[in-house]
Amino acid sequence: MPPESHETATLIERIATGDRFALAELFDRDAGRLVAVARRIVRRQDLAEEVVQDAFVALWQRAGQFDASRGNANGWLTTIVRNRALNLLRDGSRMDYHDGDTLAAIGDRASDATAAFDTLAERDALKSCLGQLDELKRRAILLCYVTGLNHGEVAATLNAPLGTVKAWIRRGTIALQECLS
Amino acid sequence: MTREDKLALAGDYVLGLLDERARAEFLVLSESDAELKAMAAQLAGRMAALDATAAPAAYSADLWSRIEQKIDGPAEPNRTIRTMTARPPVRRLPAWLPLAASVVIALGAGYFGGLMSRGDSKPVVIAILLNEADASPAMIIEAFADDSVRLVPLENFAAPDGQVLQVWTLPDADTGPVSLGTLTQTQDLRLDGPNLPLPHDGQLYEITLEPAPGSPTGRPTGPILVKGFAKPPV
Repeated sequence: MPPESHETATLIERIATGDRFALAELFDRDAGRLVAVARRIVRRQDLAEEVVQDAFVALWQRAGQFDASRGNANGWLTTIVRNRALNLLRDGSRMDYHDGDTLAAIGDRASDATAAFDTLAERDALKSCLGQLDELKRRAILLCYVTGLNHGEVAATLNAPLGTVKAWIRRGTIALQECLS
Repeated sequence: MTREDKLALAGDYVLGLLDERARAEFLVLSESDAELKAMAAQLAGRMAALDATAAPAAYSADLWSRIEQKIDGPAEPNRTIRTMTARPPVRRLPAWLPLAASVVIALGAGYFGGLMSRGDSKPVVIAILLNEADASPAMIIEAFADDSVRLVPLENFAAPDGQVLQVWTLPDADTGPVSLGTLTQTQDLRLDGPNLPLPHDGQLYEITLEPAPGSPTGRPTGPILVKGFAKPPV
């Protein structure tokens, strides 16, 4: 599990002042987890490392934009990695996902998504609220969030019509947010 | 939009289901809709627990030194001439991109006039330009019927010595990209653009990094720093 967010916020504030040691400390602490988050989406170790590399360079340049009063520092850092990984995944020139994907790779994504859900703490409201969804809605939402699939890819993975998958995700995310609020 | 529509849209945004353009539109919309913005922030905060479940992965021993090299490395501008298309592919942020605020403010010569002196006519379209690094909003561009555009920076970035930030728009694919002006550092200002057709819904605006005093070819040659698609205000 990641460290406390206020520790991350302190490091980011130091990074914003140009403190290279703070960047190194954050890297030593979080690089492994962030590579794992990126790999769930881009599926390749070299691309996952590239995502994390670029994210830390961006962090070095943009740490001053983090506003501790507005957001969670761990979430901010993870969002930088997630967005870069999603951009890479959607950038067809870098990823040959559709042609190169195999049944095994689809299975890997599905098991990553399931494992992420199973690993959530039992007391986490997200776990109980996701647990209340129909299984297919839950799986669709997890495939999107955890592994970066889009509607069409989820439809292919779950072997369901595209329109149905869109409806599952719409109703599922609405129900999830109602449950969490 | 009904409350359910907003919840569904916030869900699509957090799940990463919006394409680049829809994501830009979402960010524009959520800036003026506090409820929508709060929905997305709340869901993103909750879903982050799923990222926290990732067991740390092994990584190459030289990953840290690669990061240090990128941070310390000299600028290596990409001089390859590109043709801007209506929907350019996602470009990854060059690692050398300098986003540090600079104290010195200087303007590119010739392009600027009438800074903020005009009446409050309503812009024809507004574009939020997103940072290529993380899709965070970086600049608002308001385009007016008299060909002028107003830049409102949301974050500071500066061109390194010998380079400029060049503002472009793509009125249509046949015309190709048109320069609206250059600057060395982001600031709130108004540019008198060249005579162009009235800006339209979905028109692309972007800023690239170019050698001073501006692109040598009259087309974007450097990396895209920020870009966005315009929408008419309601």
